[in-house]
Amino acid sequence: MAKLKLLVNGESHEVEAPETALLLDALREGLGMTGTKRGCETSHCGACTVLLEGMAVHSCVVLAGRCEGKEIATVEGLAQDGELNELQRLFLKHGALQCGYCTPGMLMAATALLRRNPKPTFEEIKVGLDGNLCRCTGYTGIFEAIQACALGK
Amino acid sequence: MEIKLFRPHSLEEALGQRAEYGRDALPIAGGQSLLVMLRNKLIDPQVLLDLEPLGELRGIQARAKGVSIGAMTTFFDLLSSSDVQHAAPVLAQAAGKVGSTAIRNLGTIGGNLCHNEPGADLPPALLALNASVELRSRKGIRNVPLTEFFRGYFETAVEADEILSRVEIPTLPEGARGAYIKHSISPEDLAIAGVAVVLVPDGKNPVSVRELRIGLGGVAPVPLRARKAEAALNGRALTDDTIAAAAEIAASEAEPMSDPHASANYRRKIVKVLVRRALAAAIEGGRNGHGKA
Repeated sequence: MAKLKLLVNGESHEVEAPETALLLDALREGLGMTGTKRGCETSHCGACTVLLEGMAVHSCVVLAGRCEGKEIATVEGLAQDGELNELQRLFLKHGALQCGYCTPGMLMAATALLRRNPKPTFEEIKVGLDGNLCRCTGYTGIFEAIQACALGK
Repeated sequence: MEIKLFRPHSLEEALGQRAEYGRDALPIAGGQSLLVMLRNKLIDPQVLLDLEPLGELRGIQARAKGVSIGAMTTFFDLLSSSDVQHAAPVLAQAAGKVGSTAIRNLGTIGGNLCHNEPGADLPPALLALNASVELRSRKGIRNVPLTEFFRGYFETAVEADEILSRVEIPTLPEGARGAYIKHSISPEDLAIAGVAVVLVPDGKNPVSVRELRIGLGGVAPVPLRARKAEAALNGRALTDDTIAAAAEIAASEAEPMSDPHASANYRRKIVKVLVRRALAAAIEGGRNGHGKA
């Protein structure tokens, strides 16, 4: 076992985990941060997407031991003072979710995209979300919500 | 038994650990394939030897004789590097077609080559670029041309005490252009077949071939060069007929397998189509001033 210091959403946490623990397990089992979802566990579905140093990664294929000293952002960090952020509000407005299981991953992938490219084209939005699967609604509402966020609508 | 994680501070230290543990210490690069294999219990290492702390293994250096790329350079680094876009756009193009955004953010060129999974996108492009790899061990350094690197499904020339440290791409001849085309059911899948071409044209109308290199992926036990198809077009004018004939030869050079994604026969047919399309894209790209290899 190893003691890891992880910086999640700006707060420092200590977690005890096997040396080769996955970031997904360190977050969910170690820290009880279950907003990040366990999906396929093989880097296909994107339900476990978090940001590592601002970049979207699938936390099911990231070693937690590699994340010490790096900035990790999860869906729990999006809302501020109990208020949904703009992107989250637009997901609601555009009906961008049904069961909601993919939503944390979608939000984090979109957050990474908008930080790197604040005014993405529709095509760039599709590429930015190419690692995230939704099996309920289709993607139109999700893409529209992200576009609306980029356009400040 | 719990797997240990080694986080070496230098390449020397990593090579020492590799020498001591051999194949029981598995180097982990981006981890995008390895951690899935671990989860599916397809591998059973004692130690994961993490190459991520070794900053000297990450980065792209453009020199007069070519581009030198550290093994830990990510797909995202490759596709967004102006040096790679300038010196070897076909590699940037292939890197942009690997997996999904999250995989491109962490997956690396060295990991992609050492994993040697059929249908990987970089090998055909790097074969067409005449790339070689640098393998390091305590005993020294050896440079292996990529044509001798791939040995079989998931098998490479990397010895138990070695680490792949760099990929070297020689400067392309003046006027070279290229294209990588991938066929897959969904864009983020491995390629059912992937074809990269690098074309050095001679003359303008009709375009004839001074040098042609064709890299094939996903259609044989290892990624390979379609040497006979290349030879059939060298020195010839590129017409619909000569291209179709060369595409036919390339398909005959493939030794495809059948798997749940596609039959061997289908793969062979797809090679023919992709060689034609890749050549057309390289020629067309040249006319538009894009598509330089």
